[in-house]
Amino acid sequence: MFAKIGNLLEERFTYKRWLKEDVFEHKVPNKLNFTYCFGGITFLMFLLLVATGVIMLFYYVPTVDHAFSSVEYITFDLPAGVYVRGIHHWCANGIIVFTALHMLRVVVYGAYKNPREFHWITGVVLLGVVMGFDFTGYLLPWDQKAYWATKVGVLMPKGMPFIGEHVTAVLMGGTNIGALTLSRFFALHVAVLPLVTAVFLLGHFLMIRKTGVAKPL
Amino acid sequence: MADEVSRRKFLTAGIGVISGTIIAGVGGAALVSIGAPAVTNKLEGKWVPAGNPAELAPGVFNQVNVAFDAKDGWMDGKFKMLAYVKVEGENVTAFSATCSHLGCNVNIDETTGGFKCPCHTGQYDKNGKNVGGPPPKPLKKLDAKIEDGKLMINTLPKEA
Repeated sequence: MFAKIGNLLEERFTYKRWLKEDVFEHKVPNKLNFTYCFGGITFLMFLLLVATGVIMLFYYVPTVDHAFSSVEYITFDLPAGVYVRGIHHWCANGIIVFTALHMLRVVVYGAYKNPREFHWITGVVLLGVVMGFDFTGYLLPWDQKAYWATKVGVLMPKGMPFIGEHVTAVLMGGTNIGALTLSRFFALHVAVLPLVTAVFLLGHFLMIRKTGVAKPL
Repeated sequence: MADEVSRRKFLTAGIGVISGTIIAGVGGAALVSIGAPAVTNKLEGKWVPAGNPAELAPGVFNQVNVAFDAKDGWMDGKFKMLAYVKVEGENVTAFSATCSHLGCNVNIDETTGGFKCPCHTGQYDKNGKNVGGPPPKPLKKLDAKIEDGKLMINTLPKEA
């Protein structure tokens, strides 16, 4: 049956040719090395974060009364919960490492130069998004580490002249870390940032398909 | 040439195996965590006090609210269930008010002395047997007894 559906799709969209030419036999410069994998690994981690994040969304509750106990429930009571949260935790750490390595490769190879300036610009936005994800996600377990790390984080912009105090107030949703901070960090973490990521990732990918990757040194 | 083809095949298979492993790993976790309630999170029965039996009209069914605490996910949940209790001396008969059709609470049917469901007009006789309308099964029974002058009810309904 699957073969039949496959044939119907092939007749209409020639996807097999697309798979062959653009995926399995996609042409790349000679002598590419494994440092070219860092971007892909970053994307793989992003996908794992999305998948495990969606799973945890079935159980996590972003209120000050229940956030910690729901995370406790995921970790200690839910079957496979500790495994799901573990993947989310380690990918959240790893994505920073591989984003940095990816950028380092691009800098060393000069791959940000013409015609790939916009790849770099969207990439820098994505770096900001990744850090935004990690910053907002850190608060969600609502434990001591989350609370004080976020306190330090939201007070940093306060040092900016004129606007600092207002930026901090907007981040916190007021003058203290509480229910409003938790719910707005949650909204950023599961709705705003994923949408921004989707848009910029799409641009990032379409552009690299158009120009191809930079030649190795 | 033969070497080249086998290398391509090897790499293609490698992509398949690695993607398959990742998809199976995450898909399995999703299935287990999200699907867990299919086999876990069942309410367990426990005996709870449900008022003073002397206050109930003897020999007929009385509506009794049973309140009890039970684990509700990560919370200490407050649960409520409606029961119909008939006390005849030491004998206590109790039915869960949950209709066997789609779970509404049934009412006492004054004309028959049995029960009727307001949602889809299911009818039960005074022994809880389904006698009309859509209910496929009788009302479930609740274990009940009088202990130290208190009415005790077990919260786990049993098939009649």
